[in-house]
Amino acid sequence: MTEILTSVAGEKPAAVRLTTRRREAIAGYLFILPDALGLLVFIGLPMVLAFGISFFEVDGFGSFKFVGVANYVRMWGDPLFWTTLKTTLVFAVMLVPLLYVTGLGLALLVQRTNRFNTVMRAMFFAPQMVSLVVISLVWQLMVVDKLGVLTRLAAAVGLGSISFLGNPNIALFTVTIAGVWFLMGYYMLIFLGGLQDIPKEYYEAAKIDGASPIASFWYITLPLLRPTSFFVLLISSVAAIAGAQAFDLVYVMTRGGPANSTTLLVTYIYAQAFQYSAFGYAAAMAALLVVLMMVTTVFFFLATRGGRFDNE
Amino acid sequence: MTKISNMPAGWSRRSILKGGTALAAAGLAGLPMMGRAFGQDSTLSFWQFYAPDGDVKPQVEWFVKMVADWNATQAEQVALEYVVGSEYIGGTKLQTSFASGQGPDIFIISPGDFLRYYNGGVLADLTPAIEEAARADFPESVIANRMVDGKIYGVPMEVEPMAFYYSVKAFEDAGLNENDVPQTWDQLLEVGKKLTTTERYGLLFETNPGYYQNFTWYPFMWQGGGEFQTADGKSAFDSPATVQALKLWQDAVNSGAAPRQMLGGGGGDIVANLGSGYCAIQNVGIWGISAMDNNAPDVPYGIFKLPVPAGGKYVTVGGGWAFVANSKGKNPEAAGKFIAWALASMAPDSIQRVVDWCTVAKSDMPPRNSALAAGGEAFNKGKMGIFSKEIHPGTRAEPRVPPEVYKIISDAIQQTQLGGADPQAAATAASQQLDAFLASYSGAPIL
Repeated sequence: MTEILTSVAGEKPAAVRLTTRRREAIAGYLFILPDALGLLVFIGLPMVLAFGISFFEVDGFGSFKFVGVANYVRMWGDPLFWTTLKTTLVFAVMLVPLLYVTGLGLALLVQRTNRFNTVMRAMFFAPQMVSLVVISLVWQLMVVDKLGVLTRLAAAVGLGSISFLGNPNIALFTVTIAGVWFLMGYYMLIFLGGLQDIPKEYYEAAKIDGASPIASFWYITLPLLRPTSFFVLLISSVAAIAGAQAFDLVYVMTRGGPANSTTLLVTYIYAQAFQYSAFGYAAAMAALLVVLMMVTTVFFFLATRGGRFDNE
Repeated sequence: MTKISNMPAGWSRRSILKGGTALAAAGLAGLPMMGRAFGQDSTLSFWQFYAPDGDVKPQVEWFVKMVADWNATQAEQVALEYVVGSEYIGGTKLQTSFASGQGPDIFIISPGDFLRYYNGGVLADLTPAIEEAARADFPESVIANRMVDGKIYGVPMEVEPMAFYYSVKAFEDAGLNENDVPQTWDQLLEVGKKLTTTERYGLLFETNPGYYQNFTWYPFMWQGGGEFQTADGKSAFDSPATVQALKLWQDAVNSGAAPRQMLGGGGGDIVANLGSGYCAIQNVGIWGISAMDNNAPDVPYGIFKLPVPAGGKYVTVGGGWAFVANSKGKNPEAAGKFIAWALASMAPDSIQRVVDWCTVAKSDMPPRNSALAAGGEAFNKGKMGIFSKEIHPGTRAEPRVPPEVYKIISDAIQQTQLGGADPQAAATAASQQLDAFLASYSGAPIL
């Protein structure tokens, strides 16, 4: 409770004294203030402005014309919008489970602390240290027609001459695999943190009871990793839909081709804004993307009763 | 009780908050000064992807000397600002600078982008700064797609016709020689297949979607008499000529002679593809000469003009960038004078500057008749001679189209070349989309 020393008549007003708890709270708010301001100015405000712009025809050269919901109506009749939306969802459906499995798999492989595993952890995480543009270029070279290492390998095992990035049927899968390779080390670290939180006694007890390693994984590891799994699935789903990392991969590796097969919604938004000067339409699609991400997030929170696992 | 803290000695929570507040206040106090600093600068900014930080020395020197010569005699100073090529052409910097009202005073654009900037109202009329004799010095085929209603909005610095380059070694390995250079589309596909090995493609067309791919595809459409629009502004895309051009590129890929993916910077990067041995024949523009001579001098190569379809007529496409001025810039009049002085004056140094750009800094055809004459032998010897005598005479200017038209054509090319779509169906679908767009288009004429 705030303790206020009221001034006595004729005396100088006493300084307002705050309780320790209140002072702690104010200090806490002051510490997060810069970050909150940054989020507000660089994320919140642009989002509000972009939503506002979505009701205008904006050519990027200073012309604004109010068009109501015309940009949203245009989306409905734009076949490429639906194609890119579908591609984005397919990308998310491939990327999220693959990231979950590879991230968790790697974490299980290197969870024991020893020198070899330390090196392996660093190696798996190493792609995160490199620019995504460089990674995209390296992958592009590895899968280039005829000469790429993976292309030759595929030919050597009898798969024939595969064009990993030139065939519309497999280009998105190739980009997804490159994305998984880049991101799996990051998710491995998150899973490692989750694994270290699981008390060792549970495994010892299970072992005494004769539980197999698979049973231990199924009945101890997975259930107790639920908070971590929730975080990983939520973050990777939002990242896949937002196309944050995928944008770089697509831009460098395929430029959205062949035949729009790797054009994600986020790359289409970019093209509409910066190549076609249709900022209003791009903003409308961006607004829809935000709604998609919010729906995904709400779904995860509803499915997990608010993302709380501590009372189970 | 022992106080536990992970802060460095001498630091307290209060001191950090105080310091942070002071830093924020100092930063905010400095903002108006930054604004004034930017606002006071009257130097004309010139954005391009060559100098002063480009990696081709003769091109850097050409730009630096041009600006230094101007600055030495004029009150309105010009400053070069280098933007990395990929960012300039495919990135956001130029577009966002205009969106925020901070566009450069002078910049360069290709015909593919002309309508976007013209329709956006940011291109200044350069006509008043260009004398009539200089205006007449630019052939109509070169200047027309930089003009609207008889006024000049861009001064071309080069003409870059497309051709085919071939590896002499690949030809020899396949038992071919220069007499086997293809002259028809059928021969092109046939020779392409002969040159294809397990390690090399016989023939290479651009496969990345973009303005450049459309640019390289247009002449194949034109050769059969095709156009993307009629004289009265309706779609002409659904035609036998368009279908056969789409089919040619599709056949090249389906036959295995052409790749679906390229090396390096793509179809315009001759060193990474032909130079490395990835392909034996490559569809590239005139810039390939200087690229090969500078970066793959040990690779013998030849050049031949685009083959024609049965019953078709030879034509190629000529691209090239142009200087333009920002009508909303600090001093559009001075910017226009600079551009006219640099590239469009009848003064000998202006003509020589064009010659130097096309022969020393790059290997291009000049956009001016006087420069072609002044360059003399430089344009007629060796590989340049093949372009000036055989290839350039059939050059047609790169079309200027709005982004919507570009995308419709690009999708048709991509869907047939790499997506396996039926060329006729793709042409029909694209034509319907074009008609829908052209019916509501109200910008400057599409050429």
